[in-house]
Amino acid sequence: MSGHKADAKALLDDRGYSGPLIRGENPANLIEKPLQDRITETYYWKEQCFALNEASLCDRAVDMNFIGGTYGQQKASPFLCLVFKLLQLQPEREIVLYYLHNEEGFKYLTALAAFYIRLTFEPVEIYKALEPLLSDYRKLRRRRNDGFMITHMDQFIDDLLTKDRMCGTTLWKLPKRQLLEDLELLDERVSPLADEIEAIDNENDDAREGDE
Amino acid sequence: RQHLANTGQSGEVRKATLEDVRERLAWLKRKREEEKKDEVIDLKTRLETRQQ
Amino acid sequence: KNWDDDEDGELEQVDDTDGVDPEMEYAQWKIRELERVRRDRAAIEEAEKEREEIERRRNLSKEERE
Repeated sequence: MSGHKADAKALLDDRGYSGPLIRGENPANLIEKPLQDRITETYYWKEQCFALNEASLCDRAVDMNFIGGTYGQQKASPFLCLVFKLLQLQPEREIVLYYLHNEEGFKYLTALAAFYIRLTFEPVEIYKALEPLLSDYRKLRRRRNDGFMITHMDQFIDDLLTKDRMCGTTLWKLPKRQLLEDLELLDERVSPLADEIEAIDNENDDAREGDE
Repeated sequence: RQHLANTGQSGEVRKATLEDVRERLAWLKRKREEEKKDEVIDLKTRLETRQQ
Repeated sequence: KNWDDDEDGELEQVDDTDGVDPEMEYAQWKIRELERVRRDRAAIEEAEKEREEIERRRNLSKEERE
């Protein structure tokens, strides 16, 4: 576990791969094969992602200015390249969580860590790590084929928790929150707006009773 | 260059610690703030020279 | 520094600066959060209804059998 090869040959060689597995798989395969190819053929991957480690990857991550999948001639975004790099590096958990909450305020690094967590953590841990960010409403630039648009961290996180496809990537099927609650693996989520919601509910109840 | 140092002769990349990551991000933050400051100073001097 | 040579201008047009209008940004978040809570509640109610319906049918068929 002391280091990894500067290039991704070991990661990409299915037969020869002997590194740690995630859910019984070579972590690279959390990204579909065609998309892997799109990533490794970019200039960004070859020139900017070569020989990065957990610290020097930050240089690239803080320079990101949009999230997204592929665009134009199916070109993979720097965001995807860095996700793939993380799959190769498999940083220690505390480092991933440090990225996620980085107090320096690098929001694209937070988004990157969130995506990686969605791909690699166990279900309960995913909810626990990501849900607090549903209160984070920093703006994120998102690139789609038809151009740029604004989304927000909380929307991005909500999408990661509820959708099957994000940033051109098929996400493995995350069990629904409700199921994990039924199994008593997760407590019910309390919205930061819970008090206000309760007040609204009471008002509605009163109004209904008034009608009767 | 950094990545050559990282890579060394073996083609192995040294794994970073949490402390490395912390320091790196703090440094990047400082760097960014200084760049911003420089921009402001730059703008000021340009405005001043224009007034002269 | 910008690896996306193409369409730089377009990127600049979509501004991701935070805190330009803090109250507005918070208010918009609130709307999104309330919508999520509403959606999640609706899903739970839906699941409960389904469960009740299954239960009801099971009871029906039991009575028929008896």
